[in-house]
Amino acid sequence: MRNRAILTAALLTVLVTACGSSEQPEVVEQIVVRDRGEAAPAVEADAGATDLIAMGEDAFQMCTGCHVVESGARSTAGPNLFGVVGRTIGGLEGYSYSDALAGSELTWDEANLDQFLTDPAGYLPGTDMLAGAVRDDEERAAIIAYLANQSSSTGE
Amino acid sequence: MNDMSPEEKKTSKLGKWSRRGFIGAGVLAGGGLLIGIGVRPGNPIGALGPKVAAGAGEQLVNSWVKIDTDNIVTAIVPHCEMGQGAHSVLAQMLADELDAAWDNVRVMQAPADGSYVVSDTARMFAAPFTLNAADWLEPTWDGLFTKLGQSMDLLITGGSSSIRTTGQHQMRIAGAAARQMLVGAAADAWGVPAAEIATRDSMLVHEASGNSAPYSEFASAAAEQSMDHTPTLKTRDQYRLMGRSKARTDIPAKINGTAEFGIDAVPDGLELSYAAVVRPPVPGTSVISMDASRAEGMSGVLQILNMGNFVAVVADSYWQAQQAINTVGIEWSQSESPVKTMDDQFAVFSSALDAAGDTGGDQAAARGDAPGALANAATSIDAEYRAPYLAHAPMEPLNCTAHVADGKCDIWTSTQVPLMARSEVASTVGIGADDITIHHPYLGGAFGRRLGSEYVAMAARVAQATGYPIKMIWSREEDTQKALYRCADMSRMRAGLDESGALIAYDSVFTQRHDPAEACVPAMYDIANTSVRVAEAELHLPFQAWRSVDHSQQGFFIESFIDEAAAAAGADPLEYRLSMLTNAPRHTAVLEKVAEISNWREPSAEGTAKGVAIVESFGTIVAEVIEVDMTSGKPKMTNCWAVCDAGYVMNPDGFRNQIEGGIVFGLTAAMYGELELEDGAIVQSNFHDYRMLRMNEVPNIEVALINSGDVPVGGAGEPGLPPAAPALANAIFAASGTRLRELPIAKQFV
Repeated sequence: MRNRAILTAALLTVLVTACGSSEQPEVVEQIVVRDRGEAAPAVEADAGATDLIAMGEDAFQMCTGCHVVESGARSTAGPNLFGVVGRTIGGLEGYSYSDALAGSELTWDEANLDQFLTDPAGYLPGTDMLAGAVRDDEERAAIIAYLANQSSSTGE
Repeated sequence: MNDMSPEEKKTSKLGKWSRRGFIGAGVLAGGGLLIGIGVRPGNPIGALGPKVAAGAGEQLVNSWVKIDTDNIVTAIVPHCEMGQGAHSVLAQMLADELDAAWDNVRVMQAPADGSYVVSDTARMFAAPFTLNAADWLEPTWDGLFTKLGQSMDLLITGGSSSIRTTGQHQMRIAGAAARQMLVGAAADAWGVPAAEIATRDSMLVHEASGNSAPYSEFASAAAEQSMDHTPTLKTRDQYRLMGRSKARTDIPAKINGTAEFGIDAVPDGLELSYAAVVRPPVPGTSVISMDASRAEGMSGVLQILNMGNFVAVVADSYWQAQQAINTVGIEWSQSESPVKTMDDQFAVFSSALDAAGDTGGDQAAARGDAPGALANAATSIDAEYRAPYLAHAPMEPLNCTAHVADGKCDIWTSTQVPLMARSEVASTVGIGADDITIHHPYLGGAFGRRLGSEYVAMAARVAQATGYPIKMIWSREEDTQKALYRCADMSRMRAGLDESGALIAYDSVFTQRHDPAEACVPAMYDIANTSVRVAEAELHLPFQAWRSVDHSQQGFFIESFIDEAAAAAGADPLEYRLSMLTNAPRHTAVLEKVAEISNWREPSAEGTAKGVAIVESFGTIVAEVIEVDMTSGKPKMTNCWAVCDAGYVMNPDGFRNQIEGGIVFGLTAAMYGELELEDGAIVQSNFHDYRMLRMNEVPNIEVALINSGDVPVGGAGEPGLPPAAPALANAIFAASGTRLRELPIAKQFV
């Protein structure tokens, strides 16, 4: 009879944990940039935007879903791009590259980055970088200029 | 101490209600519910009607069935559909008892309403019926649960429970009761005895008088019939739909892309804005300061919010919100947790186990005198096992759409617990539960993750702050790194063997015990002296039930260690198990069957070897044999044979799907699943470093089913998982002599 209690207990199982009505803190800070329906403010001409590197930093925002550019920072979905120009392709220690990149012995430079970013899978078939082609020539050039500037030699 | 039953779990220090408590509450809270909700005018059905039968010409027969004027029967199912196929099989069960035409059966998700709590109300409603309810409910029937009320929000999908509880004890009875009411209404109208009226394919037929009519003709009149509280249910030889592999009703929409998941919510008449969020990298920390200067100038951004324990950016599109939040600099408070790495976490476990020693800790189960028998054993072995933290990683990212306005709140989200989510929102935004509506469409995977509702409360808070409707979506990185997790654990195991090699003593002590209570007990084996102990230790990461819960680590611990005992005895691991199952005929039959289909007793092909494991979980006994090829020095899984006894399988194709899914989920975790910590934060972030098993790595899987007969029906969603890891580890031992005592496996063969 007691033994049966074990067996039967299995039938009762429902996966539940705490009901969890935890206390929530108040909203600490609420920055309202604009109300809905209100037209977005005209993009102000950024003083630094004439500078290719600064333009590249802005354009690079489209890449931040997968990449960080920070010395020593942990890679996110894509490898950390700090110091990528001058680095062996597929050469960042500790990052798990696709076979397509891991097997390469080439070094990233402005020219091959330009080809790669134009069409990643076309330039390196088998790459895991399935999104992120930069079709706009100016944006691409700016991003590469920005990346080239982000390396230990620049004292970042 | 001769009691092998798990001790009662009380409300723990975490304030967590025990599993049994929920069930009991449901029974009591719902005791009058189905009766009260029945079909008599003036009952709660009046309020339910507009929610589930709003269309003209639709008649609610009872709270689980509606029949419309086109003779379409709709089963109103209280469980969510997260890929497991429960909607379809529940409808199958109801339709069979109702004698409905399957082609004209539809399925509808029950609204998040307390009237649809998932309980075994039918146990009271229909007692004494013969679906084995009494023999498992009785031990939990009185006293223990009276303190719990209807507030426990039991609209839950989990525990591999839909078919064996709601299906067996509610849907079938609802179908049978509805059928009797239709028959009664027709008998009154035609002036013939009810017993002479036959039902088939949603038609009522009285042969002698030549009368016949579709169900729809008597749907209204049926609602005036008194309800039989003990409708006669079909016996197996009368089943027309149950036990058959009917095609799932949810699949066409999922193939053609019209199926709606939580993330697809586009509420009528609402203009949505989108929220991206960032939560603390280390659990329990909060925002010290936030620098949003860059985000403020980015396109599409509407608001940036410091919510105290997370940061949100609201924008015109999700992409814009996520781009902007990536630029917000956030300083987080320091964590007080001593755990910075997994080594630290295992050190916490280790010291708890050290403190418990050979006899300490909470006794979870005991039989005989394990310490004495261990001391006198001819041979003794001991081992320490480890399991890592795991993420649920459902394909559909966590998301929630919320609108808070005029004292009311509407939520659209994928959840396994709509009423608990409602309660959490109520306490978070200060709106009464009755003014909160939870809309919950299909779930794109859950695996236990969506039993937690913290993401729902987050969205409600953001919507309350903005005042307009928002759809919040977590990035994959947020979900991998800042969510709720399968716990890590450590187990120390000892065994004593007599001169013949027989296992006479077993002792295990570990630190994590959540659910089910019996998962840690090797109850099926005849081991005269058994002791199972828990030495509780703190987890650094928050816990959430993960497919098969405690069985996911305990299956690995127990069945690997039993394999070690077999090796110490010099016995074949399958025959060794059989020799200890003399009081378990169903387990024996399952193991014999898996031996047969895997050719266990024949020599293995060169370079390959097989491992076996058997676990009973959620009412279903599953044995698996896995074959590995080690010729490359790394494990390559070639074949997996699984044999399952769930008592009776309602839909064999659906059941096999679930077992196969459980095996692949379990093997993924066994091979690759691991979350590492660095400075207290999770290292893995996305599918590139939290790997899934790929198609070319999955072994051939063969699943055989045993319908052993007159036992309660078992679950399907989880039981395939627990034997997978130990069967694989045991196969690797057989092939290579390497005993794996921790997971994951792949990195141990680099």
